Amino acid sequence: MSVVDDEDATLRERLADEPVPALRVLAVVAVLVAVEFGALANLVMSLPWDAVGAALPGFLQGAAATIAGVGDGLAGLPTLLSRSVIDNAGYQLPSGEWVGTFMGLSPAAAWLLRVALIYAYGFVWLLVGWWSYLVYRDNYRHADWAPVDDMVGRFRNHSWGLFGLAIIFAFVVLAVFAPALGPTTVDANIADPYLHSIEYYSEETGGVEEIYVGDANGESQSRGQGGENVGPMQYDQYDRFHPFGTLPSGKDLFTFMAAGARVSLFIGVASLVLAGGAAVVFALATAYYKGLVDLGIVIASDSIQALPQLLVIMLASFVLSGTWLANLYNGGVVLALLFGLTGWPGLWRAVRGPALQVSEREWIDAAKSFGQRPSVTMRKHMLPYVVGYLLIYASLTLGGVIIGVAGLSFLGLGINAPTPEWGRAVSAGQPYVATPSWHISLLPGILIVIVVTGFNALGDGIRDAIDPQSDVETGQQDQTAAAGGGA
Amino acid sequence: MSRPGPERTATGLAGLDCDPGETLLSVRDLRTYYESGDLIGGQPVKAVDGVSFDVKKGETLGIVGESGCGKTTLGRTLVRLEAATGGEVRVGDDDVTQLSGEDLQAWRRNAQVVFQDPESSLNDRMTVGEIVREPLDVHDWGTPAERRARVRSLLEKVGLQEEHYYRYPHQFSGGQRQRVGIARALALEPEFVVLDEPVSALDVSVQAQILNLLMDLQEELGLTYLFIAHDLSVVEHICDRVAVMYLGNVMELGPTEELFEDPANPYTRALLSAVPEPDPTAEIDRMTLRGTPPSPRDPPQGCPFSTRCPVKIRPEGFEDVDDETWEAIEVFRETLRARSRAERSLSEQAREFLGFETRFATVDEVVEELFADRELPGSIREPVDRATDLARDGDEAPALDHLREELGSVCDHEPPAAHGVDATARESRCHRHDDEYEEPAAVGPSVGDAE
Repeated sequence: MSVVDDEDATLRERLADEPVPALRVLAVVAVLVAVEFGALANLVMSLPWDAVGAALPGFLQGAAATIAGVGDGLAGLPTLLSRSVIDNAGYQLPSGEWVGTFMGLSPAAAWLLRVALIYAYGFVWLLVGWWSYLVYRDNYRHADWAPVDDMVGRFRNHSWGLFGLAIIFAFVVLAVFAPALGPTTVDANIADPYLHSIEYYSEETGGVEEIYVGDANGESQSRGQGGENVGPMQYDQYDRFHPFGTLPSGKDLFTFMAAGARVSLFIGVASLVLAGGAAVVFALATAYYKGLVDLGIVIASDSIQALPQLLVIMLASFVLSGTWLANLYNGGVVLALLFGLTGWPGLWRAVRGPALQVSEREWIDAAKSFGQRPSVTMRKHMLPYVVGYLLIYASLTLGGVIIGVAGLSFLGLGINAPTPEWGRAVSAGQPYVATPSWHISLLPGILIVIVVTGFNALGDGIRDAIDPQSDVETGQQDQTAAAGGGA
Repeated sequence: MSRPGPERTATGLAGLDCDPGETLLSVRDLRTYYESGDLIGGQPVKAVDGVSFDVKKGETLGIVGESGCGKTTLGRTLVRLEAATGGEVRVGDDDVTQLSGEDLQAWRRNAQVVFQDPESSLNDRMTVGEIVREPLDVHDWGTPAERRARVRSLLEKVGLQEEHYYRYPHQFSGGQRQRVGIARALALEPEFVVLDEPVSALDVSVQAQILNLLMDLQEELGLTYLFIAHDLSVVEHICDRVAVMYLGNVMELGPTEELFEDPANPYTRALLSAVPEPDPTAEIDRMTLRGTPPSPRDPPQGCPFSTRCPVKIRPEGFEDVDDETWEAIEVFRETLRARSRAERSLSEQAREFLGFETRFATVDEVVEELFADRELPGSIREPVDRATDLARDGDEAPALDHLREELGSVCDHEPPAAHGVDATARESRCHRHDDEYEEPAAVGPSVGDAE
């Protein structure tokens, strides 16, 4: 640990005093951002800005349009790990030579290379995050030891939690880098196949021909017994590579899955931010004020919990299906809202216990006795003890939301077609489960299981890292409280 | 409003700026009741039930009493952690129980608490520096740099080191944590500090260090302490005056030395006789009290101590009844009281209704056991039989009322007034201080330091 002469130095002064480690971290981060800047801008621009723009008052819309133009321009910047740099689209000449692919590799090899590089890139980000924690801890934090160090230490030795973290890391990378990970794009292959075309070598004419993607898809369908089938890791007759095979419509399943991961993650995270925010605010308020506030929220949450969640969501999404709300993010926003609004009572119940426990501690009385404001007392003296539990339950619930969305899409509700969603892939493949086209249902199904398991494992890991047992006085109750919501 | 800075002297409440020895706080008929959790009906818990005393500036007033006597609630009410149900706490012309707005903030700045359990009174997720600094932040004291400097000097003042600023409470022992709690209480230079059993959770060896620290700080900073404790030896060591509480009432109040040497009130005498004697060969006449304290939901109508008092006055005409018989009557009343307090579950009520056996012995069994082999004079026999009849229906209240009417003395009917018991302004609440009765010391075993 470095020695800072002035004990009172603020973080900024400490950074100025010893800038080298921080600058080193910053340099690495800058390089990482630079190579992917275009993709970052693309990601930002892919959010439903149209809806935001439409909601702005008139004089701001001009400004918004300008910003949107700049954003689109930035989104067009070349990026290192993009399809255009490592291209897997091309065709094979009779000589066996590949034309159009990256360095003449086969499309499978080029795609695998790109996937490997993207995951390596994501992993570097993970390492940078860890590294900056270490740099902060060793160089800039005054305290030699903080409670969070023990939690991190416990999590590092928790193999089930680390397994969960690895799964979730893979899932998040899949969602974030979805456009670059697929062997083709949602636009070209799924949304507007007749606006895009590909080149292939035709043996009939003996030359390179051009064909609409939609027409090519018609020849690469997976329709089980007796019909055509393009299975996992196979090429279709237009030399397109399909890592997960194709859908019954001939569209690429992996591209579909990657884009679907994005939708699932968006709905899961957005609904949990909503539900978790409400849960924490209500839990702190009920624990601090008790009495009538508590009673009111208990009644409200009981009323919501008395309704069957999935049925209500189905009903509401059906009722809302014709409105402007249902078109935001292809129906994702309305699902996130519905899952959030029906999900907070469960989360609130889970964190209310810990919040009530901490509200009985004497440091709350101490804060009251010197006149601390209630809002600050809740934030400083209660929230840190509650937020860990919220993380646990949120990660456990997220899997449930993903299953719920997949279930709704399976039933034809939820996300509007043709936007990819995992549940729709399972549904589409259902008639072909017992045929050579088994991959259509099975692969998305397995992925759902793995991701949900991953979120549960991560939740377990966080729970053990927070380690209720170390808190001797309240340990027993904490543990039962934390174990109760695992369903 | 000028910002309170390091050079602040005025307290913001005129009554707090009095000179040492003058009355700082004047508590009059203070009552704090806790509402019962039931939505309808239910008796409130009378934790503090009409308490009056003065606190002089610069002194240490001890509050002693057994668990549940309301001493902690009293302290919490004084610092406005509990809302008073009635009565007043005067500071100059202000009533602390009614303060609001800026005056309340001024009181919060000048009245601090040191809590009993140092494990629970410090937030484990904050560094020691942040904990001690928080009151300064709340009251916008000085500049941030001045606050940090003040925290450092406070840490040093309570016997910690400056570099503990960035440590977490987990890294400290119980005694050190209590020092942090003291530093936090002193951060705003309060006038009045409630010490709520500040050493009872600590090792004996550490207790003395903390007590000495508290006494040194009082001398240095001119603090006024309200010292709540159940450990009498600690109270004797640190307090100038002591108030003895029982069931929400102050039974005796006076200078520590006189009170310990020659306790006037029967309850004080019982409490002091419970102090363990370090000499195992010493023969001490320990006063063992019968039964448990009554429920603070339903305190006795007369003297709060009347249900257990070993020197309770007998009603007129019963002076000649032998002690054992009279004791049996008191036990009978105590038993009825305990039964009336016991919670009966729904199934027990049903069993009782249907005439099955319950875990409660029948009244007849109790009477049988107590009075079977005793000759009761008619004047006692009659009320006992009548009460037995009344209680047999399962409702003890009328039976108790009847017994009180027939066999109760002044102790059962009237709350005792405060009597001055010696030249040092000592007060004790006991009917035996009335001229017509014998003093408690004359009828009970000898207690106190004066052998």
